[in-house]
Amino acid sequence: MSNHTHHHRHGFKKHSHDTGGSSIDYLAVTSGIRHWSPEFKVGFSLLLLVFCLFANHPIISVIIMLTAAFITLGLGKIPLGNYYSLLTIPFAFIIMGSLAVAVDFAKGPVGDWNLFLYWGYAYVTKKSLMNMGCLILKIFAAVSSMFIMTLSTPSFELFAVMKKAHCPQLIVELMHMIYRFIFILMSVQRNMRISAESRLGFCDFKTSCYSFGQIAGNLFIVSLKKANAYFDAMEARCYDGTFAFLEDESEKQPKLIVFAVIYFVVLIAIWWLVH
Amino acid sequence: MTQPILQVKDLYYAYNDEKTALNGIDLAIYPGEKIAVVGSNGAGKSTFFLNVNGVLSPEHGEIRFKDIPITKKTLPQLRKNIGIVFQDADNQIIASSVRAEVSFGPMNLKLPREEVVERVNMAMDYMNLNGFADRPPHYLSGGEKKRVAIADIIAMKSEVIIFDEPTAALDPLNANMLEQVLDQLTQEGKTLLVSTHDVNFTYRWADRVLVFCQGKIIADGTPREIFTNDEVVKKANLMRPTMLDVYEQLVAHHLLPKDDKYPKDVEEFAKYLKNHFDE
Repeated sequence: MSNHTHHHRHGFKKHSHDTGGSSIDYLAVTSGIRHWSPEFKVGFSLLLLVFCLFANHPIISVIIMLTAAFITLGLGKIPLGNYYSLLTIPFAFIIMGSLAVAVDFAKGPVGDWNLFLYWGYAYVTKKSLMNMGCLILKIFAAVSSMFIMTLSTPSFELFAVMKKAHCPQLIVELMHMIYRFIFILMSVQRNMRISAESRLGFCDFKTSCYSFGQIAGNLFIVSLKKANAYFDAMEARCYDGTFAFLEDESEKQPKLIVFAVIYFVVLIAIWWLVH
Repeated sequence: MTQPILQVKDLYYAYNDEKTALNGIDLAIYPGEKIAVVGSNGAGKSTFFLNVNGVLSPEHGEIRFKDIPITKKTLPQLRKNIGIVFQDADNQIIASSVRAEVSFGPMNLKLPREEVVERVNMAMDYMNLNGFADRPPHYLSGGEKKRVAIADIIAMKSEVIIFDEPTAALDPLNANMLEQVLDQLTQEGKTLLVSTHDVNFTYRWADRVLVFCQGKIIADGTPREIFTNDEVVKKANLMRPTMLDVYEQLVAHHLLPKDDKYPKDVEEFAKYLKNHFDE
């Protein structure tokens, strides 16, 4: 869930709907491979992720990156700009993390490249640079294989898969409600912000702080009220304590599975050769 | 006389023990009636609806559905047969896709899967929502959300359907569509209660009007009875329908005979004029 909300907050690009949120969720809904069964997509990207980590080889990583990009961009028809900006999210972490792998410290100049730092040397060797390169590739491959899932499976389908995978009912139900409420609160917040803005509520720093506080407080009250109204509406429709929705019976898509098997066999063969 | 489908006796309700929202409601509703519920904001309309559906429980008073008194035991029966379309669709829609949303009611009725699928498809068809099945509700427009909210209730096949200010926030096209849906539901024998501030709509659509004022029903009758009663109109802060005013002005100025025709809408009026002047 944290991953999910994180993406929502990131809100990298606004689309035209007046719902206040855009994002991965919207891309997933409009994806060209939306009709693939969600179980398949989840299973496929998880397997790909595991294989990528397990194989731990730059060539495999590159192949996975390319094929994942092909699936998401080519088949899913996700706009390149969106894909690119999503890939940059983990970039900062990757740089920081991989620098720690590449750079080491020693008393003397033992590396291939050394930087004298008064009390010792920071050095980099060819091998550590190679390691860093492999790590970066591996991370990008892992991220892009997860993007196959996130950019083609709307959250509610994901919840259904979790339910089928015997995730506790309570958690799945909470996810449903949280998901719906994120959008409701976002649009409420957006409306309040706009109305504050139209009354010069953000004209200077002090006023902005005040308006922000007012909006935050109001949002809290509104969310309580909304929760009440929701519960009334649910009760009116015979809610008895368990969330029950109609879920699509998953279609068997043997073609996809055959392709996936072939793909993995090829991947394993390549890995066998280069290993 | 036919048996009332819903009977309310001496209903009292108060929020937080302070302000009484409902102050002794007595009412009998018969199958197939088209009832408009009017009254100013805060007159108790919504509270009344929530009581009738059993979401709020009255301080005292009795609600009978088909002569079965509503108790904790029979409450599910009541809810199954009385559906509410809430005013704000955003407060009603809980699921993350339209199809899941419409299925929420039928699923709660514990129907077999095939029946749920059938009802969901029927309701989505009814509200012209085909093609929206897998859309998350937050990517729908206001009118579309309203349609989903109505489909929610249609899928439950309730005998009595309550619409809480359905025309608020709808554009003319969607409002028009709503009226068609109401007509269709009437043809199917449903009993409808619609709360509204639109007097013109009330005048042309309803065959019975309930006027709420400060937690009481101060008048109950046909639209003509209600709107020609100046005392009630004034007390409940209502307005007279334009059609009624126009007709009465024409009669007063002897342009039309005093034959108590009272056309309900422009269409009827045009027909009436045509008949009158062709003769």
